[in-house]
Amino acid sequence: MTVETLDPIAKQADTTMPPKVSIENLAFFYGESKALKNISLPLHDRKVTAFIGPSGCGKSTLLRILNRIYEMYPKQRAEGKVVVDGLNILDKGTDLNMLRAKIGMVFQKPTPFPMSIYENIAFGVRLYERLGKEEMDERVESALRKAALWEEVKNKLHSSGLGLSGGQQQRLCIARTVAVRPEIILLDEPCSALDPISTAKIEELIDELKDDYTIAIVTHNMQQAARTSDFTAFMYLGELIEFGETKQIFTHPGKQQTQDYITGRFG
Amino acid sequence: MTDVAAITPVSKERRIAASRWFAPSDRLFHGLTMGAAIAVLLLLGGVILALLQGSLPAFSKFGIDFIYTQAWSPARDNFGALAPISGTLITSFIAMLVAVPLSFGIAIFLTEICPMWLRRPIGTAIELLAGIPSIIYGIWGLFVFAPFMQRHVQPFLINTFSGVPVLENLFAGPPYGIGILTTSLILAIMVLPFITAVSRDVLETVPAVLKEAAYGLGCTTWEVARRVMLPYARAGVLGGVMLGLGRALGETMAVTFVIGNAHRIQASILSPGTTISATIANEFAEAMGATYTSSLMALGLILFLITFIVLAFARLMLLRMNQKAG
Amino acid sequence: MVDLYSRRRMANRIVVSLSIGAALLGITWLVLILGQLLIEGFGALSLAVFTEMTPPPGSTGGLRNAIFGTAVMTSIAILLGTPIGILAGTYLAEYGRESKLAMVVRFINDVLLSAPSIVIGLFIYEMMVIHMGHFSAWAGAVALAVIVIPVVLRTTEDMLNLVPTGLREAATALGAPRYFVIRRVAYKAARNGIVTGILLAVARISGETAPLLFTALNNQFWSTDLNAPMANLPVVIFQFALSPYEDWRKLAWVGALLITMAILAVNIGARALAGRKAS
Repeated sequence: MTVETLDPIAKQADTTMPPKVSIENLAFFYGESKALKNISLPLHDRKVTAFIGPSGCGKSTLLRILNRIYEMYPKQRAEGKVVVDGLNILDKGTDLNMLRAKIGMVFQKPTPFPMSIYENIAFGVRLYERLGKEEMDERVESALRKAALWEEVKNKLHSSGLGLSGGQQQRLCIARTVAVRPEIILLDEPCSALDPISTAKIEELIDELKDDYTIAIVTHNMQQAARTSDFTAFMYLGELIEFGETKQIFTHPGKQQTQDYITGRFG
Repeated sequence: MTDVAAITPVSKERRIAASRWFAPSDRLFHGLTMGAAIAVLLLLGGVILALLQGSLPAFSKFGIDFIYTQAWSPARDNFGALAPISGTLITSFIAMLVAVPLSFGIAIFLTEICPMWLRRPIGTAIELLAGIPSIIYGIWGLFVFAPFMQRHVQPFLINTFSGVPVLENLFAGPPYGIGILTTSLILAIMVLPFITAVSRDVLETVPAVLKEAAYGLGCTTWEVARRVMLPYARAGVLGGVMLGLGRALGETMAVTFVIGNAHRIQASILSPGTTISATIANEFAEAMGATYTSSLMALGLILFLITFIVLAFARLMLLRMNQKAG
Repeated sequence: MVDLYSRRRMANRIVVSLSIGAALLGITWLVLILGQLLIEGFGALSLAVFTEMTPPPGSTGGLRNAIFGTAVMTSIAILLGTPIGILAGTYLAEYGRESKLAMVVRFINDVLLSAPSIVIGLFIYEMMVIHMGHFSAWAGAVALAVIVIPVVLRTTEDMLNLVPTGLREAATALGAPRYFVIRRVAYKAARNGIVTGILLAVARISGETAPLLFTALNNQFWSTDLNAPMANLPVVIFQFALSPYEDWRKLAWVGALLITMAILAVNIGARALAGRKAS
């Protein structure tokens, strides 16, 4: 890890530091068809990077490469480089389980496991750590607090996670991801199945989480991208059209296509 | 609990240590499940091999003649499979003749005619009945149905058809009660819920838009069923019929009670006969001598091959149906 | 025009009545069978059925040893067959999927699912009884286990396929290895369905007669020795029903009633469980 200081001025200036993740000439294939071509961009440490673009542009696909979750399916493959902390994670020797423990992911639809709220969170922790009861209790509590869910569930930790509302379930999934102590969190349209109030809560949460984590979020909601992110990448038809600071992308986009999209002229 | 503690990433070393067992465990579990899957293949192979081995003495003694000779004499150690084979085929054929139209009628009733609130109860009842063991049908056939046939149905058939050419021979002889016809009817009752359940499932996959379009053109229920539903669901329905046939061919207990176990082929379907499964069930435990046992094994092999072909065909048809629906 | 129309309506009316007739006929038939079973079975039901052994010809008795034998062999068969069925079903749903091996196993399993059970009896006779030199409860249980496997395999695969991909992805994304995802998440989500499959297998084998005829055979006496022939309800029903003795025939009806009720209960339980959402 390169950024040791939490000094706010340093945080603003850290684009000069080596990025946490550096994507280089990335291409992706579903069987024969090429879904992504020639993508290169950085994800800066402890910043939120938003991926926007019309559906089918490949933004979710890109996210699914970063933890190599696509490997679950036989005919999908990636080419190019994704360098995380100096190592190319697309290398054959990469330990996928450890990669995923380091790079957490939250999905479009809330996916609580069919077990208690407590067990949902302990599930990932137990994979890599042997914790005593007290330590585990603490870990569960801190994860739930981080996900702003603790107050709502502290009295029913041992009832099923399936009994929560959609917004609560999604925050449970964030808590579950945080509990494993990743360094990077990938959010794949985390609010698309949620009501406006839950969405607002999750956006607040993202704002807090970026103090500690490098975050990549895919969204089809441009306001959300503008509100939550520090950097924005605009993608179209499997290509990266433009990448830059969010403020700049939304006020002075460099490309006509970007401008058309954010002003709602297509997509 | 401070925030700093919460964000300290777990050290790489700890993760490496913890995940040391992941890959081997994964391979082990993968291997275990694959082993179990292969065990299923071995099971089938084992069944065929065991039957082949068991029937070898019979086939080496009688050769291919075994299949089309009628002799069945434990006393003279002389065996031929024709009577059981023909009994199996004939009873199953008659059973299907009765059960298939009835099943279709019920299936169409359940999908098109029956009021909504009755569909689930009747459907469930039929599925539950498909689960009742065949020995129940057998015992009912023996105690209730066979006497009924003997007293009422068979005398009527004999009287009605006496003097009519061909049919006279088909329905000849004293009314035994038990016999080919009784067995066939019991088999029909037995496979009825089975074919009905499959046909109903298949007919339910016919897209509602197709039916609505046909009804919209002014088609009657019957026309929709015949011109739209059956053509659409043909492969699946055929699969269901074949599954039922596979059941009927291999059915043992419902048959053994009422077939009469007579190793003679007779023209009349009122006369007692035998089937492959009934012969094995009746005689195997008491069979003395290598040739006798082996001949029964050979019967088992023949039965297995016949049903295998029928069931394989049924599965292919249902598979095709599923691809269409999926 | 009117002529054609009324002819079509007539044809329709005939077919609709035929189909209602078929439904009535089918249901009547089945009601007759169950009705007879209830009348005869309950008529002869008494406490002695559960407390006394199967009687020698011409005297009264019960079915205690047969009930016990069926329970024992069914349990052993489930214990033997279930793990193999679940593991193989897991392979088809999680690892093999569209691979050649998986396709072949799926097909073969479907065939085994409805293979004649008497052939399974012959197979076990050839594999076990001959080598052991005598009939035994073990052989009977193994024969039943062979019938359990395809039932459990099929439901396990179907139920695992119903587990949302999202759950697997979520667990994988936490860094869980595949076996862990399957065992801790997929099995948990599919638990009710898999249990349903096991219950269906119990229902299927507890009435099976043919595979026991020359594996477990029968035993007139109380026996807990798995290496010896063991009494069981189906074979007792078979023997007693075909006998000339009134007492035996009555017991056959009682046995048939007990089996049918047990199977209906298990089937209804399985349905209730399958209808309920996972935990």
